[in-house]
Amino acid sequence: MIGRAGGVWRLLGCLAVPAASDAETAVDVLIRRVVAADPDRATALGLGGTDRVSADRLPRLEVRSTRPRRLAVVAGSERTLAGLIGTADRSGWRTVGASVVTMDPLAMSGLLLDPSVDAILTGASDPPRPDERSAIRELAALVAAVAGRRPDLPIILAGGMAEGLAAFGDVGTRPGGVVLAPTVGADGAGPLADLLLELALPPDDPRRAIGPATQSLADVLDRRIETIILGHDASVRAFAAPSAGGVPAHARLAVVPIAAVAPDDPDDVVVDGVLLWSTVASDRHRVRDRMRELRIAPWADAAGDGSALRMAAARAALVRLVARTDGKDASSAPDLVLTGGGVWSSVPAPTVALAIVDVIRRPGASQFALDHARLLGVLGSIPDADERRLMLRDLADDLLAPLGSVVTPAGLRAGRSAGTLVVHASGSTTELELVPGGLELVDLAPGETAVAEFRFRDTVRLGVRGRHFAVDVGGGLAGLLVDLRDVPLRLPDRADRRRDLLAAWQTALWAGADA
Amino acid sequence: MSALDATVLPGDLGLVATRRLLDGSLDVTFRLGPGDRPLVASGESVVAGAPIAERLRDPRLIEMALPPTADTRPGTRIAEGELLFDWRGHWRVAGGDVAEPIETPVAGIVRDVRPGSAIVVRANGQAMRGIVAVGGATRGRLHIVAGFDGELRPGSLDVGLAGTILVVGSRIDAETLTRARAMGVRGVIVGGLASKERRDFGASERRQRAALHRLPPYAVLVLEGATRRPLAGPMMAVLHALAGREVAITIDPPGLLFDAAETVIPRPPTDLVRVRAGELAGRDGTWVAALGPRRFAGGVHLEAAAVRFDDGRTLAVPLGDLERFI
Repeated sequence: MIGRAGGVWRLLGCLAVPAASDAETAVDVLIRRVVAADPDRATALGLGGTDRVSADRLPRLEVRSTRPRRLAVVAGSERTLAGLIGTADRSGWRTVGASVVTMDPLAMSGLLLDPSVDAILTGASDPPRPDERSAIRELAALVAAVAGRRPDLPIILAGGMAEGLAAFGDVGTRPGGVVLAPTVGADGAGPLADLLLELALPPDDPRRAIGPATQSLADVLDRRIETIILGHDASVRAFAAPSAGGVPAHARLAVVPIAAVAPDDPDDVVVDGVLLWSTVASDRHRVRDRMRELRIAPWADAAGDGSALRMAAARAALVRLVARTDGKDASSAPDLVLTGGGVWSSVPAPTVALAIVDVIRRPGASQFALDHARLLGVLGSIPDADERRLMLRDLADDLLAPLGSVVTPAGLRAGRSAGTLVVHASGSTTELELVPGGLELVDLAPGETAVAEFRFRDTVRLGVRGRHFAVDVGGGLAGLLVDLRDVPLRLPDRADRRRDLLAAWQTALWAGADA
Repeated sequence: MSALDATVLPGDLGLVATRRLLDGSLDVTFRLGPGDRPLVASGESVVAGAPIAERLRDPRLIEMALPPTADTRPGTRIAEGELLFDWRGHWRVAGGDVAEPIETPVAGIVRDVRPGSAIVVRANGQAMRGIVAVGGATRGRLHIVAGFDGELRPGSLDVGLAGTILVVGSRIDAETLTRARAMGVRGVIVGGLASKERRDFGASERRQRAALHRLPPYAVLVLEGATRRPLAGPMMAVLHALAGREVAITIDPPGLLFDAAETVIPRPPTDLVRVRAGELAGRDGTWVAALGPRRFAGGVHLEAAAVRFDDGRTLAVPLGDLERFI
């Protein structure tokens, strides 16, 4: 709930309830909490007192995420298929695919005619390579036949497959349309990814809206921002840099259904990924059952072992997200890493930053913040860029719960000490020894700033190579976290040792984890 | 969970996630593959047990030239099978020698027929939705063999249960499922089916279907999830009301369908809430009030509600662990 107070937009309160709950009751409860917390302000805003406005007359901004649709991807070669699936996977689609090399026309017809398929993507390199030239003509005939039988199905012809357009006849009269698209870009990003994203999600989809929201925040805060949202049906990663020279910049956005926290049917890869990060002893069958339960009822069983499962599932989802979105943008540490998602709502906030740096290993220093009210996608759906920026400028401090700063040097040599850290904060100074392989925590309250002065014995990488660094850091719920572990992180192969190590790292930031 | 005095205010029941106990008419989808032959057309009425399509057991791809006078559109049926696409003057055709009927376990109206893709039937009657169904759509007489939190063992099954759909309580294993199929049982309704049992039963079912001798369809309907959990009281009440009557299990969507014209279906009290997870999983209680954020095991803070149980205690339960039936 947001309202204007003192001439600016402020976050008045927030409440998250299961999707199958009654939204009106939630609004009613939220209003009562705002009135109870600050009766005078609530009265001034028309939420309390004798002149209060009825809840159903309050202006509302509603967004609704839907389950990602299913895209069948077919190609003339395995190499092209891999590129197309890689691009579609990060563009808001659940994919199923095959090439003519591994699937016969009968099975491929069955794949494309499956009633759960919502669109078809077929492509070839541009120009087609010799090994796929003959195959794509037959493939075009097959896809055109399916297009005739399912006229409502959108068809996307990418790259050299456009040569087969004639097989589709008069495409202008076809309800589903036939779209010509460019071939696969580098890193799976590029115009084809953008087009697929547009076809996958409506403009006001809260996951797609993360892109504009991240860009607006980057402009407002004048920071390079990376946003990571872990969702039930899909996860999102966006990168934005401030617009410069009066030219509006656009965030790079990836929506990855395969990186959903709780996939539909958790296969061995998903289950093993969760087991890798689990701090609770379990076996494959048990983890698979619990992941299925998490899918069915994401709000349930959030206490006790349920929160440990969520932390493991979140890290595993993040691994899948990073695998599909790591590129040039992700190579250097941004100024601010912003995260959100329902999975974080039932774990202590200080552990969130740790979960992210466990997976995303890159040298540098970043501040971390949590979209605790989960409003980023909502505000990102405001279509007018100026209005969106105005809202985010006012609300940024309320929306972003500061988690703290994380400094990750790379290239440390094993030994008793890698150097020293001196933190100069508001008149006080904290000094500590830097021990390679561990985590160092320095209390730094939200809103507090400090200068962290690092003196390493040997040359390390911290954005640049050097031995002495002075880094401006901001406080947060987790304070200052100096991550002296390996880049990339190396975990013990033995499950019991790995669990103990993960639990030890986590316990430092999770008050009452054993309660 | 912590004990509370019962002085909290009532209200805010809407914060609890709802679950529909019964749905009205349901669109049931029967999947077809290329070469399968629909036997019905859109708008037709079908009765329970009527064949609606023929499924090819081992479809194969045939390549052939057709006379220029023939109707040559993809999806058209010819004697050899179903036309797929024309490639350089020769048609690729999906055909096969042996077909078996697909029967609808529910009466209704055919809404859509898409050769090679699916037949959709709008079923008459009412439906209780499940989480997942494994096997093939089936029908039979409902028989309750275990209570809401019971478990069925292989030794409890005999041929006297042939033709029935069994309600077996909170869990079942793959061995019991396969024995039930061997005894002629048509289906099983269970609260939870673990992933391992589901995988083992799925493999057994595929082997059975691959055999030459055709078995009657058999399905397992899971109402709750993957872990052991008693069937919900309101669901169990509906199943008791349907005991002895003909019901059907559908796969897509997973559900129990029945014609309830002459049956009195009990409705749950409005303030009844069920704990679906946590220490009290499976227990029903009465809603008292929302409590706001509370600290629970593991040091996590969650929105909570006060719930009164039949032993007289009122406990704080995470809101996300609760559900109510409407």
